[in-house]
Amino acid sequence: MQREEKQWESTLEQILSRLNDLKLSIMSMITVLETQYETINWPTFLDNFALISSHLTGISKILNRRDVGGSCLLRNRTVLPLLLSQDRDDQLLQITEGRLPVFSHDIVPDYLRTKPDPTAETRMIAHEQKANSLNNDAAAKQVMQFNKVVAHVSDIISEQREKWESESSTRAGVQQTSSMTDTQALVAAVGIGKGLLKMTMPPMGGPGQVMLPPGGIRPSSMMSSVSPQGVGHLGKAPSSVKTNIKSANQIHPFQRN
Amino acid sequence: MSGIPSTQDLLTQACNNKIIPNQEYLLQGSILDSASDHLFQRLKGLCDNVESGPQLFNDHELCLSLRAPNQAQPLMLRVRRSLEVDAPYQLRYIGQPEFGDRTRPTLVRSSIDVGCTATVIEFLTELGCKIDYEYFSKGYMFRKGRMKITMSKILKVGKGDEALSQSQLVELSVLAPTGQDAIGEEMKAFAEQLKPLVQLEKIDYKRLGSTLP
Repeated sequence: MQREEKQWESTLEQILSRLNDLKLSIMSMITVLETQYETINWPTFLDNFALISSHLTGISKILNRRDVGGSCLLRNRTVLPLLLSQDRDDQLLQITEGRLPVFSHDIVPDYLRTKPDPTAETRMIAHEQKANSLNNDAAAKQVMQFNKVVAHVSDIISEQREKWESESSTRAGVQQTSSMTDTQALVAAVGIGKGLLKMTMPPMGGPGQVMLPPGGIRPSSMMSSVSPQGVGHLGKAPSSVKTNIKSANQIHPFQRN
Repeated sequence: MSGIPSTQDLLTQACNNKIIPNQEYLLQGSILDSASDHLFQRLKGLCDNVESGPQLFNDHELCLSLRAPNQAQPLMLRVRRSLEVDAPYQLRYIGQPEFGDRTRPTLVRSSIDVGCTATVIEFLTELGCKIDYEYFSKGYMFRKGRMKITMSKILKVGKGDEALSQSQLVELSVLAPTGQDAIGEEMKAFAEQLKPLVQLEKIDYKRLGSTLP
């Protein structure tokens, strides 16, 4: 008797601590949402959901535990409301952190889950009536038939699954959708111009240094250091041509005159 | 020194505060032409562009390099222009890809995009850049969150725009400020969803062989 009670207590404690963990993690998530919504790192924020769901699985594991001695199975326990009242209960308000002021007939079905979903309830009633009107032989017959049908359906499904699995495995083997060599070729082409280099414009084909005057670029060349020198050089060349033309022009008039 | 901060200061400050998306996280793969429609439908289902539909693009991309005598690595710049719509040209700097170790899910490289006018090529050639290679890339662009997924046919420029291979290039990329490595995991998860249709992987550029002249 004592052992059972102890087990019972420890189970309840476990559930309580789990519930507290859950509550804390939800609360911290809400505070983060409310206070730091501008700077949240969303991927890490999403981890909160994983945390909450792990808490929930933990709780449902405890609730569903079957292996421990019969007495502490939660599903064998019933929760009964002993006292319902329409009056405001301050202690209750305190316990529930201001969520529940009155423990009345209104809330019991929801909070203690004593009442099933209305649609489920009507269907339950209909089924119960039907079940009560059957006699034993007929029921046994129906169970037999039902089992037969279920076995048949499961056979069909498993057969189909085997077929699909073999099909998909063979298909994956036959159809190739991508090729590593093509990937390499394409990436090399786009990245370093492999296979494209010969298509460049012929006059530009020579090595870069030929195009640029020797000494035009200093070893530690950066964009800024190149530009004035390059421009300067380019500026000089046309100017010499211009003077040539000018001098020629100047010569001509003299010759003619 | 007080008063209005210079542009350089503002830029450094912005860099330090990590608000400039200058890192590109990249995964690459390819899909055979025969299966490309399959992938197209899969991406259409997975990605965000439900209302507008996937975006068609047809771009001409030029790769220019500026090399200095004493530097092994030339400065690479890319200019991209759309052949479909009248959009500004795009000048793009892409840094050396960091392959990283096995724990890093994607390739990371610095990337800076600037919009510019059509005279940019002339300007760059004046600076001493030369055109290394060029290609057309034609395909579809999808979005999923801040991830960008493109599947495109790479075509050679010139006679009849010959295709480079029997496959289309598939790229999954995100532009993010420095230090946002968490996005890599997100991309990895998305790449998982496209398997076994496409194997999106980080591809080591060093292994591709240096065919640079």
